[in-house]
Amino acid sequence: MLRYLLVRTAQTVFAVFVVATLIFLGLQLTGDPMENLAPPDMSAAQVEELRKAYGLDRPVYVQYLRFMGHLAQGDLGISFLSGEPALRLILQRFPTTLKLVLAALFIAVFLGLPMGVGAAIRADTLTDRTLRFLSVLGISAPTFWIGIMLILIFSVNLGWLPSSGLSSWKHYLMPAFTLSLYRIALFLRMVRSTMLDVLNQDYIRTARAKGLAERVVVYKHALRNALIPFITVAGLQFGHLMAGAVVTEKIFAIPGMNRLALDALYSDDRPVIIAFIIVVAVLFAVVNLVVDLFYAIIDPRVRYA
Amino acid sequence: MKRIGILLAFVSALAFAGGDQLVVAYQGGAVTLDPHLRNETTTLSWQHHIFETPFFYDREGKVVPVLATSIENTDPNTWILKVRSGVKFHDGTPMTAEDVAYSILRAATHPKSQMKAYVGKVVSARALDEVTVEIKTKVPDPLLPAHLDHAAVIPKAYMEKVGEEGFQKHPIGTGPYKFVDWLNADHLTLERFEDYWGPKPDFAKVVLKNIPQGATRVAGLLSGEIDIAEKVLPQDFARVERSGRATVKQTPGVRIIYVAMDYWREYGSEGLPEGAKNPFLDPAARKAVYMAIDEEAIVKKIMGGAATVAQQFLAPVHEGYSPKIKRFPYDPEGARKILEDLGYGDKDGDGWLELPTKDGKRVPFELRIDAPNDRYLNDAQIAQAMASMLRKIGIKAEVNAVPKKVFFPNMTKGHFTLYIAGWGSMDSINTMLSMFHSKDPEGLYGRFNRQRYHNPEVDALIEKAASTFDPTERDALLQQAMEIAMVQDVAYIPLHYENVIAGVAKGIDFSPRPDEYLHAFEAKKQ
Repeated sequence: MLRYLLVRTAQTVFAVFVVATLIFLGLQLTGDPMENLAPPDMSAAQVEELRKAYGLDRPVYVQYLRFMGHLAQGDLGISFLSGEPALRLILQRFPTTLKLVLAALFIAVFLGLPMGVGAAIRADTLTDRTLRFLSVLGISAPTFWIGIMLILIFSVNLGWLPSSGLSSWKHYLMPAFTLSLYRIALFLRMVRSTMLDVLNQDYIRTARAKGLAERVVVYKHALRNALIPFITVAGLQFGHLMAGAVVTEKIFAIPGMNRLALDALYSDDRPVIIAFIIVVAVLFAVVNLVVDLFYAIIDPRVRYA
Repeated sequence: MKRIGILLAFVSALAFAGGDQLVVAYQGGAVTLDPHLRNETTTLSWQHHIFETPFFYDREGKVVPVLATSIENTDPNTWILKVRSGVKFHDGTPMTAEDVAYSILRAATHPKSQMKAYVGKVVSARALDEVTVEIKTKVPDPLLPAHLDHAAVIPKAYMEKVGEEGFQKHPIGTGPYKFVDWLNADHLTLERFEDYWGPKPDFAKVVLKNIPQGATRVAGLLSGEIDIAEKVLPQDFARVERSGRATVKQTPGVRIIYVAMDYWREYGSEGLPEGAKNPFLDPAARKAVYMAIDEEAIVKKIMGGAATVAQQFLAPVHEGYSPKIKRFPYDPEGARKILEDLGYGDKDGDGWLELPTKDGKRVPFELRIDAPNDRYLNDAQIAQAMASMLRKIGIKAEVNAVPKKVFFPNMTKGHFTLYIAGWGSMDSINTMLSMFHSKDPEGLYGRFNRQRYHNPEVDALIEKAASTFDPTERDALLQQAMEIAMVQDVAYIPLHYENVIAGVAKGIDFSPRPDEYLHAFEAKKQ
């Protein structure tokens, strides 16, 4: 086990370096950061001075080596825009995005899972068809539109919920729901189809033949087995959400790390862009590792493979 | 622990809701609280609550003394500035000439300072006594007092004690509001400075928030969470007015939206067909395009009335604005006739005007209009409107609207024939030098004169104005330069000035400034 963990950690570190290199090179292609950093009224000479102050006048390979050297020490550079360390800026907002994502996942699991089970046991009935139809809506509805509509209804018309920020539990409801909608639909369909697969297995037939109550069959035996792929997908969705909640964060004015990364992208604040991507890469690697470990723990067959 | 503190501050700020608290929503947020490092309107707007400058522009475009009381120059390169007495910093220490001198020098020489375009000519600033500062410039700068509006005064002792990082964690200035709490580019919480030297603002607590989405800002305004929302879009005006909770206030701004055309290439201009002659080297052709644009319709239909038709590059509040200049009348038939008389007539009868090519043939007059799609209000739509107006007179115009990140570098590299862009600044000399003066090899002049308009007569007038200390004389010279450039040369086609728009909740008396700064301390209770 320890050896396995060490190998995975080494792989993660390697992946981070590859990602960092690709991003660094990619950003070189986006043009001159001074276009966005230097205000229009500066003369050419002053722009060059500013460029020097940021170390951007050195040749690319020198910049790259310095960058990698710093990366190895955990220093991801200073944000061009604000002068604060890029990594600190991202990590400062990490908990905000995390809370939002956990709230969204919680809603998605709380609603999607039971609806999926319900749809599976009532396969091909009206309930099932209705749920499947709703899931199509959930998957196709654009986040942007859902968010604005919710604000319109609950903040402006009804005045029940605040429209922006995250300072109380009420603030979480709309953004978390907006984020969760797609996942509710996804989980519903996923759980339904895995449950149906499982329910057709021989051992379920045996359980029923044994005389076990249907409830025990479904929840104790079938659901447990269906949960394994479900948790894998849920875990991966966590990663997706952490890196992709950008539209929701923008609409609801939530100071999360996605919005910071978006602003950095627009103003070519390269250290922050790179810091964000690296944090996300590490996050995905960790999530993958946890999910794989979970798999190994739950399913003995995987352990010896 | 810090996060809990922020949360508590936020919640307690909300608990003050209504009454003595003002919540203002901006489209962006301050990325730094060091007042010399970023020259960007929203960052400066937030900072203006905490910091003040020696001089500042008022709403009518006049330069008024704030932390200074007077300034005069003893020779072209030396200024003597008198500092206001009785001004305290937020930590109780008195502001002296030493702090003013330190701040001016820092704005001029700090390696990451973005204020060098304004105070970059300053080579030394020293306190002669408690209330006098001597400033020396390397070349004469007649506009130094106005330029000091970008040199915020900070306490020297405090900055030296806590350092730049410490300063940003708790900035101290002389302004009407004190720092309470800040989350980078997200929100800034302030409370009234009771020992402020000037008239105390009406509201005891102010929260400045960054709400990037226009629809969310309006929603906050309508639900009562926000008292002032900047940049309300024209499509939301009706809804705001109908709500009974807030109204829309507009002020004509100083940001002009204009059209620039290629003045330097006879062949090879990329927005025209391959090998075609560039018609825009001739002011008559430029005038024709100008006359083909129905700007009143653009302001009314595309801008929803949120703009003011322009006839020249500078706005009425600017120095150098000439009341003599009138817009060329909208006359599509006249425009077409001019182009036909110049030899671009439709000889093959396909309905389009034509351009001659290098090898003696004629091709249809195709034109690509370049514009950004995320920088100015309805920029892409303005371009579309312009394209359809040009098509009506026989120019086969198409629009290429791209994000600003792509647009501006391409503009700089000279890839455009005709493009739409904007310009906003209170500094007329800088405007003329950057946009109208021909480019010089050192890059001192014509920095934004991308399409290389050049007229030595205009150059001479601008240079003379730039070194004229007498404001009346300077004004006259600038007006002269503008008249030649706009009327005789049609250097640019002026479209409109964007209005500065804010949604203001009932019970609050506030109207936006033409220079686009939004200051909560200017809001009064009704």
